[in-house]
Amino acid sequence: MAVTATILSPASRQGQIERADTLVQRNALLTPGDTITVRIKRSAGVGAEGREQEFAVPYQKWMRVLDALNWIAENDATDLAYRWFCGSKMCGTCAVRMNGREVLACWEAVEPQMTIEPLRNLPVVRDLVVDRSPYENKVASLEPWLRRPGDYAGFPEPLSHKQMKNASKALDCISCMCCYSACPVIRLGGLTDFAGPAPLVQLGQTALDPRNDPQRIAASLERTGIFNCVSCYKCEEVCPAGIPIVSQIIEPLKAKAAALVPAMAHHAFAVRAIVAARGRVDPGALVLRVQGWRALLRLRRIVRLLVRGKISPLRTVLAIKTAAAAPARRILGRGPS
Amino acid sequence: MKFAYYPGCSARSTCAELNVATHRVAQKLGLDLLQLESATCTGARELRAIDPAAFYALNVRILALAEREALPLMTICNTCTLNVLDAHAAFVTDADLAKGVNARLAEEGLHYSGRTKISHFLWVLHEDIGQDRLRKLVTNPLTGLTVAAFYGCHITRPPGRYGFVDSRNNIALETLAEILGCRPIDYTGRTECCGFHTAASDERVAIKLTGQHILAAKAGGAQAMVTPCPLCHTVLDGFQREIEDDLEQKLDMPVLHLPQLVGLALGLTPEELNIDRHMIPTDVVGAYAAGMA
Repeated sequence: MAVTATILSPASRQGQIERADTLVQRNALLTPGDTITVRIKRSAGVGAEGREQEFAVPYQKWMRVLDALNWIAENDATDLAYRWFCGSKMCGTCAVRMNGREVLACWEAVEPQMTIEPLRNLPVVRDLVVDRSPYENKVASLEPWLRRPGDYAGFPEPLSHKQMKNASKALDCISCMCCYSACPVIRLGGLTDFAGPAPLVQLGQTALDPRNDPQRIAASLERTGIFNCVSCYKCEEVCPAGIPIVSQIIEPLKAKAAALVPAMAHHAFAVRAIVAARGRVDPGALVLRVQGWRALLRLRRIVRLLVRGKISPLRTVLAIKTAAAAPARRILGRGPS
Repeated sequence: MKFAYYPGCSARSTCAELNVATHRVAQKLGLDLLQLESATCTGARELRAIDPAAFYALNVRILALAEREALPLMTICNTCTLNVLDAHAAFVTDADLAKGVNARLAEEGLHYSGRTKISHFLWVLHEDIGQDRLRKLVTNPLTGLTVAAFYGCHITRPPGRYGFVDSRNNIALETLAEILGCRPIDYTGRTECCGFHTAASDERVAIKLTGQHILAAKAGGAQAMVTPCPLCHTVLDGFQREIEDDLEQKLDMPVLHLPQLVGLALGLTPEELNIDRHMIPTDVVGAYAAGMA
């Protein structure tokens, strides 16, 4: 791997890459008349054998991934299946994976060498077209609509920007499925009951709206498996609408779950309680608290951890406090602040 | 060069070897570390979701402790780093929040004004030591050791915090590995997630995700992995036997903390850096350090 770039501090790094990664900058890599190599993963759908087909596409100024696909469909492979409608980052139908990353075909500059695949985590219908119904069914099952617990107060309803801060971010979603394709937990299939980032953003549009009925929100959240989110920020990284999916949708939804259905946040409350009591997390205490005496069944690991001196049962059992215990207690107290 | 040093919970418990190695390497590098003994946990991922006000108070308190000493803050854990960065950002952009937090800190005579520079050990190496000086300090290059850099998530995402449109563009660890004499490999797992943050309640996600990363590193020819995060290390190393059971194959992939790899190249011994404290034997790395490979 070529290693040349200088690493900047986070503050000075902010925006540096963006400035070097605009449509203009990327197009500058190519001049009209250059040939772009486009490899497309094609298949006849689920279960069918896939194949990679290579195309040579003449570069045109300001060319986007979508323009390359259109050129191929018009000149080389008239049977190429791909989806698009608005061409301007609104309809959310043209998302594909380009060189291992989820992008909107209509909003991404071409690269000299491109491998284009359908989105992951959804069944392929044909070539680059995926079946969105697993997502749509999940969203529908969460009943993401608004119902006031009381009567409609009349227009204008007393709503502040601050109250709608997170819900309004969720409303920027164009349902393109980039985040759903990038999510590593969804990639594990049915291993967990995690709903995935895109359905959670849809739910956030109304569940983070202060007018909604808390009982309905609670019932929806119970069907999300939201605490299976690993907080990897992959969804935020690929979101073409720039939605802070983890920090402004998933975390506020977790907060709602903790308040409305505390059992869902058992693990998070355990961390809080341990930090409040000891100042720092004692891993042994956390695992015991979360998994109960089941944890002791993992005898092989416990022995290994003990041999390497990685756990201290004495510290766990005696709940030995650290120098951070007093300040933690001062800030965390006994209950949520 | 002096830093207020925040080791976090992991380096004070299951990854105590990381704290030892950091202190030893800091000495070699001429870094003076003032360990913040009264600093609490940053709340991991849990507190920020269920109790944001307490999350901000704990993290701003850590920043205030550093500010009181007029020192920049150095961290060695990805998740702690993102937590203090997020708390700092919220503090300087939300005046109400800042006022509220400072009122809570006033009870113990602390105050934050937003001046603490936050840096992770990885960035200290690049920015404060610098590549040229580091190159000169390498007395025992680990020539030929192929390493797979494992960044984890919270040192390279979210994009709004670190500026990487594509986190795969981060090459900070590979650059370092080359300076230390190693040969960094390219593989799919570099900037992927280890799954640590759901592992206390359900390990299966961590085991499945990290299994793929170690397999990819192995397929790419890596003899060892290196990570700047003790939480990733816990899964990569501590869960590796369960991962092997899940994959039904042996992996035996040694995993080093970043300061351990740096320390070996600076001439510290494997024993001084506690690299024998890992679950997976690190003999192959030790052999390179001893020039026996």
